[in-house]
This record gives sequence, structure tokens and C-alpha cells, in this order.
Amino acid sequence: MTGRDHARVPTQLGSLLEVNGVSKRFAGIQALGGDDGLSFQIDRGSFVGLIGPNGAGKSTLFNLLTGVLPADAGTIVFEGNDITAASSHQRAEHGIGRTFQTPRTFESLTVLDNVVVGATSPGERLRSALGRKWRRHEAGLVEQARDILDQVGLADRASEPVGDLSGGELRMLGVARQLIRRPTLLLLDEPTAGVHPLLQDRLADLLAGLHRQGMTLVVVEHNLHFLLAIAEHILVLTQGRLLAEGPPSHIRGDPAVVSAYLGEDHAA
Amino acid sequence: MNWPQLLITVATIGSIFGVVTLALNLQYARGGMINFGIVAYFAVGAYTYAIITQPPPKGLDQYAFGLDWPWWAGFLLAGIAALGFAALTGWPTLRLRGEYLALTTFAFAEVFHSFLLNERRIGNGTVGLSNVHRPFGDWGPIEEKYVFAGAAALLLIVTLAAFRQLLASPYGRALDAIRDDEVAAQSSGKPSADMRRQVFLISAVPVGLAGAVYAMFTTLAQPSLFTAEVTFVVWIALVLGGERSVYGAMLGAFGLVFFEEVVRALPFETVRSAQIAASVEHIITGVLFIAVLRYQPFDRIQRKVRAST
Repeated sequence: MTGRDHARVPTQLGSLLEVNGVSKRFAGIQALGGDDGLSFQIDRGSFVGLIGPNGAGKSTLFNLLTGVLPADAGTIVFEGNDITAASSHQRAEHGIGRTFQTPRTFESLTVLDNVVVGATSPGERLRSALGRKWRRHEAGLVEQARDILDQVGLADRASEPVGDLSGGELRMLGVARQLIRRPTLLLLDEPTAGVHPLLQDRLADLLAGLHRQGMTLVVVEHNLHFLLAIAEHILVLTQGRLLAEGPPSHIRGDPAVVSAYLGEDHAA
Repeated sequence: MNWPQLLITVATIGSIFGVVTLALNLQYARGGMINFGIVAYFAVGAYTYAIITQPPPKGLDQYAFGLDWPWWAGFLLAGIAALGFAALTGWPTLRLRGEYLALTTFAFAEVFHSFLLNERRIGNGTVGLSNVHRPFGDWGPIEEKYVFAGAAALLLIVTLAAFRQLLASPYGRALDAIRDDEVAAQSSGKPSADMRRQVFLISAVPVGLAGAVYAMFTTLAQPSLFTAEVTFVVWIALVLGGERSVYGAMLGAFGLVFFEEVVRALPFETVRSAQIAASVEHIITGVLFIAVLRYQPFDRIQRKVRAST
């Protein structure tokens, strides 16, 4: 760890993601990063919780990491490669997966196809699409997608249009679509919002399982009860800056964090 | 009314416009791109075919080029020229979305139309190129008009088969995802800009080939044949037939061409009554267009089919 504005989330496996001096302004207002920008590192195989009050810059940070928005300054290094200028789909190909704060789905596709489309199929290349070789690969993808839907509790909804799913189910579908990609780094934006408590337990088990398998996870969550129980390290953002970081037990009692969430009176 | 002649004309023109409607279906319904200048790619195919196959200029001819190459060279180059034109126009326009893309493609087509009207050395200006080479004569006992209808239908079938294969593949699924939510598709590794560009380019090829067949059929490549009206007729065909399926797009093209040809074939006693019929034809087409947009019967049919399965 290298200070409040340059944290390192430690594991034994080395750095996976390095964010160096990244900042973002919207209409002249600083949304992320102070004067020196935001800097932190996330090590391979870690399970990080990213918390902060509304408007702290959590989703903006995800958008910068995944290339949905360009950073105004700073660099982002993933697995040793500078991906600052890489497009969103290139970052996904590098192994960064994400879900969104507001679930984003493909309305014209069934639930099953919403998961299958998350994978990169050989049939997505123009030349291969006109042939038949992709069909063999496709059967495997469909089977994989069914397994994942089973894991997120949507197995019996596979053939339905996504419009029939509830808000919580759509969130689970977003997670499922990323799982079929097997990303190296998975960024989840409020995965439990609107999700039934039983499904939340299932999601917690699923994320713990992915973590055990070596996937690096960064989870933005307002449900601190959920997050502090499963994450091994917490980063706290407020007003676009890194306010605190450390293990959940340390964060729970940090007056600065309590103050940022609940106001000065509660922190006292 | 000469029904056999009418039906053979509908089969030929319907197939030609069916190809253009299929291309528009691919660009719009699957690729999410609004192309209001599709007539330009059609015209590029027609003019390319005419220029490649016509004899060199002589006497009073104002055009400067005529290669006198065989029909198949003109046909293939018509597709390649449309592809090249799509690359040229797609490069600056495909960064745009929705109505902005519609406006720029429309503007490109209008500029190209104006170019055809005014540039005599390429396409002979407003007069255009006439006596365009017709490659198919009578095949034994089969009359030329049937051979033409067969050739146009073959182009439609090949286009349909290729597009169906493409859209039923993971490529088509990725296209649907990009159209539904581009940001989410990119986050799943879909190169949306590249795929859009590919769709724009590959769909231009059959449009260019259809333009070549149209020039063969009419033996003309004139600016008056390639006005914005062609674009809107194809769009109406797409909407009437139902943009969601390739068969709907084809059906719309054939239905509209059939309707137009029937009105044209009606025997009229006076010029005035023929003029009224032509106006009524446009009014009915417009009313049908509005009714389809208002009541969206194809979406209802799809919902019913989905519910029954």
C-alpha cells in the first residue's frame, strides 16, 4: 500500500491492474481524481469491494476502466499492457468484464442468447459466418450458457424474451453474460440491487466460487452487509478521491468512512 | 390486361427491388443503420455495368468511356463498384447515428444524382446511357423475358440465402446485440464499428449487382431512373413487408411492385383518367404506409407466433 491516493490491493500473485493518476471531468466539474488524479493497483486474484456515497465516482471509474468513457488524464495498465487508448471491445478481449448499474440487455434476444452472445464465437467473424464450422463450437457455448443460467437461477427462463425478466433477474443475467467470457477481471456494478434475498445468497456463493478459482473481482455495492461479508479488501471513494482502503474489519470502524456515508454527527 | 406479361414483369422488377430491400433490411433492421441514399449504390451498379459493356464513343456520343467488355465483367464490376462507393461514403458517415446518418446518406445520394445529371463524360448527363447491353437472348424455346425473370430471381435467391446464413450465424446474433445496446455489446467484446462497416459494405454488393440487372432489363442508365423516389419506394416496401424478417422485406417489394404494375396495366380511356389513377396509386401506397406504421401488424403477428410457441 502506498498511501491514500495510491493504494495497492495485495495478494501473492502480483499486479493485475494499475490505475495511475486517472481523472475525469464532466462539464468542467471534477468527477474523478483530485489534482494528481486517482491511483491504485489491484493484484491478481483479489476480491475488492468499491464503496462510496452516491456521486463518489464509482460507476465513472468502471466506465474509465472499461473504455466506455475516455480518461482526461492518467494511464491504465492491465496485465502489463497500457490499455488507456484501447477501445471498449478491445478491453473486453483483453479480459476485463463488467456489468452495469442499470442492467443492459439485448431485447431482441432470448435469455439464453443474451448469455451466449457474451462469448466470442468463431462464427462472429464474417468469413466464418458464411461457413458451417462455427456450428460445432456453438453447441458447446449453448451448453455452457445453460450451466451458467442454472448457477444464477435462470435455467427455466432460458427460452423467454428478456423483457419478461424482473429487474433483479436482469442483473443476474448481466452477471451470467460476463461469466461465459471467463474474464480475468470482473467489475460488478451493484449486482444485488433489486435482487431477491435468496438470489443474493446464491450470488454471494457464486462470486466466492469465482474468487476461489482465481478470478479477480471488483464489486461496487451499496449493500454493505453483502459486500463486507464476501470482499477481502475495500476501497472507499468519495468525491472522486480515494478516502480509505483496507480489509473490511478496518473499514467498518473508520470514522472517515462513516462520516462520508452518514455525515459528521455519526462519525463522532 | 395481359396477366402473363404483367406477372413476368412483376417477377423481374420485384426480384431486382427485392434484392435492394433485403440489403436495406440487413442495414437497418439488423445493423441499425438508416440509409436514405440506397439509390446511389443501385445507380453505381447500373452505370458501371453500362460503361463497362458499352462500345467506345463515336460520332455525337458525349460520354468518354466505353470498354466494350463482356456482360459478366460488367456485372461483377458493378458489385465491386458499389462496394467501393460504400467504402467511400461509409468512411465519413458511419460514425453518425440515427437521423444524422439518414441525412448524410441522403445528401450523398443527391450529390451523386447531381453529378450524373451534370457530368456528360461519365454517364452522358441528363440523357444518360441508352442501348445498354442485354446479355440474354432467347434460350432455345425460352423467351428472353423469362430468362431475365429467372436471372433476377436467381440474384434474389442467392442474396437471400447468403443473408439468411449470415443472420442465422453468431455474426447475426452479435449484430442484433449491437443494434439493441451498443455499449453492452462492446463490453462483451463485440467490435461494433467494424461490424457496422462490414454490414454496410457487404450489403452494397447485391445492390450494385441489382443495379446492373436493372440496366440490362431497361437497357438504360439515366439519372431520371435513380432519383430519391427509388430510395423511398424501397423503404416503403421494407416497412409494408415487415422489417423484422427477410421474407417480409421480399414480400413488401413484390407486393408494392405488383400494385404499381397493375395500376400501370389498367386500360384507361383518357389521359386524364390515367393521371388520376397514378395519383390514387401514390395515395393508396401512402395510406398503407401510415396504416402499417400506426397498427404495426407484423409486430402483432410476431407476438402471436411467439405466444403460440
